[in-house]
Amino acid sequence: MKMLLTLAWRNLWRKKRRTFITTSSVMFAVVLAIGLMSMVNGMKQQMTRSIISNTTGHLQIQDVLYHDEPTMDHAMDYGEEVRGGIAKYEDLIAYTVPRIEGFCLASKEISSRGVYVMGVLPDKEDRMNDLSSRLTEGRMFTADDGFAVVAEGVATQLDLALGDTIVLLGQGFQGMTAAGKYKVGGILEFPLPEMNNTLVYLPLQTAQNFFAAPERLNRLILMLKDQSEADELVLKIQDELDQEWYTLKTWEELMPDKLAAFEARDAQVRVFAWVLYIVAGFGIFGTIITMMHERLREFGILLSIGMKRSQLAGVCLVETVFISIIGVITGVVAGFPIVYYLYRNPIPLADDLADTMIDFGLEPYMSFSIDTGIFVYQALTIFFIALVVGLYPVRKVFRLDMISAARK
Amino acid sequence: MKTVIKTNGLSKTYTNTAVPVHALKNVTLEFKEGEFTAIVGPSGSGKTTFLNVIGGLDKPTEGHVVIDNVDIATMKESQLFDFRLRHIGFVFQAYNLIPVLTAMENVSFIMLLQKQSKREMEKRAKEMLEQVGLSDKLDIRPSQLSGGQQQRVAVARALASKPNFVLADEPTANLDTESAFNLLDIMARLNREENITLIFSTHDQRVIDRARRVITLVDGAVDKDEHFERN
Repeated sequence: MKMLLTLAWRNLWRKKRRTFITTSSVMFAVVLAIGLMSMVNGMKQQMTRSIISNTTGHLQIQDVLYHDEPTMDHAMDYGEEVRGGIAKYEDLIAYTVPRIEGFCLASKEISSRGVYVMGVLPDKEDRMNDLSSRLTEGRMFTADDGFAVVAEGVATQLDLALGDTIVLLGQGFQGMTAAGKYKVGGILEFPLPEMNNTLVYLPLQTAQNFFAAPERLNRLILMLKDQSEADELVLKIQDELDQEWYTLKTWEELMPDKLAAFEARDAQVRVFAWVLYIVAGFGIFGTIITMMHERLREFGILLSIGMKRSQLAGVCLVETVFISIIGVITGVVAGFPIVYYLYRNPIPLADDLADTMIDFGLEPYMSFSIDTGIFVYQALTIFFIALVVGLYPVRKVFRLDMISAARK
Repeated sequence: MKTVIKTNGLSKTYTNTAVPVHALKNVTLEFKEGEFTAIVGPSGSGKTTFLNVIGGLDKPTEGHVVIDNVDIATMKESQLFDFRLRHIGFVFQAYNLIPVLTAMENVSFIMLLQKQSKREMEKRAKEMLEQVGLSDKLDIRPSQLSGGQQQRVAVARALASKPNFVLADEPTANLDTESAFNLLDIMARLNREENITLIFSTHDQRVIDRARRVITLVDGAVDKDEHFERN
């Protein structure tokens, strides 16, 4: 075995340039694949983080009917059952964010428009999405305050300024009328137009009273210490709650359209990645064919003097494995610093692309990921392709006519 | 003397050509232990085919090749690989050493395939390289050796595994006169001292002049089988 390994290893360095070209093609394929997947995963993680922190959180507890029919009538009771259920898993939950929300009509004097009223606890929102940082005027309310903070678009359209009064009218819990008037204490600016033109924030308790739904929430957002625990925690908390009334949903269940968009883009990227793999595979294949034809005579001789076909095939396969391992390792070694640099220094985007990112509530940067899985998966994929290509000489050896090969 | 190889009614016809080629026709021969035989004849007379068939590299269309009481014509390919490895030594016109292995490793290679112990392998390889006058070239690769030296390594390789006989296909064809004589001296000595059976296919008069038996093939058939008394 040692001699066969020695033979394979030394064969590699018979033609250094050829080996260099082959290992380089494997290396570049690995670097490109790592770079591509790092960028794709980085962007996906960036978007997921944005969705989780700006919209859904990791998990939500809702009334069982609310997701399909989001009306105030399906506001859930935020009582002992829910509090007790999540308290059991407080070691897994970083914090909770309670919200009550619904569409209303907002007006000032003769102007009116549809708005989305959100009753929130400002400190929890700040922890989740740094809501206060979006203030452009005034201040954020505390839990005990009674004033409203409105989005800039709403303020503009209703001609609201700090200290003005906004009148809200909507549907409360179980047919009650939700009506109230609130001073405007702050103005927020959001990058997404649908948020900037519709959001009106009230302190949670004020909003619960407005919607005639004291101790009720539309959603209780759970922010986890570790996102990977989400699926397991769903099952655990579900067991603690009456499933006739409550349900737990992951962000993927809450945003199926976003998930589908991610999956569609992943599929496109996979196609692109496989084009890359195939190009790399043909690069290796070309070298291996040349190598085979240069050495047919030698193979014939080795078989003539008593080497078994399986042993010769083994040497050929080991040569391919060596080439693949060298290519993959150098690819990972070369790719990691590049990706790590880009991870630490995301590429700033400009012009329309940056505007689009901002519109989606994302930082205008191209982010990269350094997940170990990317390196392992890409390295193993390229290695596997090189091995498949390496089966060509193995097949050739088993079909070789040793006499005609030896005469070449 | 013990019979090492016996062929009986050996024929080989190539049918993968436009017209079938009868490379061997009813060749019946016996080779005794310790013989030094030259197979001669014009190009296309069937010399190499004969060596390939008795070396188990090719199968006869008809007839038998009995080596050590075993008819190798009926063996499967996998059995033939093992048989060749244990019973036959080969020396080729173009030396055919493994370029990435040193002289010592080249000679050890067949013993390695025979799964001999490392100690035994090294001892025998050194001994054989010493026999062919290359004890100072153990760690040298083929590309750094002259043609004659490479062919001597090939002879050492062929003999290292203690085969029943050695088949040499035009071994002196690529050598200059001095190297050819040197090689023939070595092979003749080994034939004499170790009683090794040597069968050469050759055009080379230098080889023919050393052989104690000369078989002439013409159109695939034995034309002459002559024995000579030589030292």
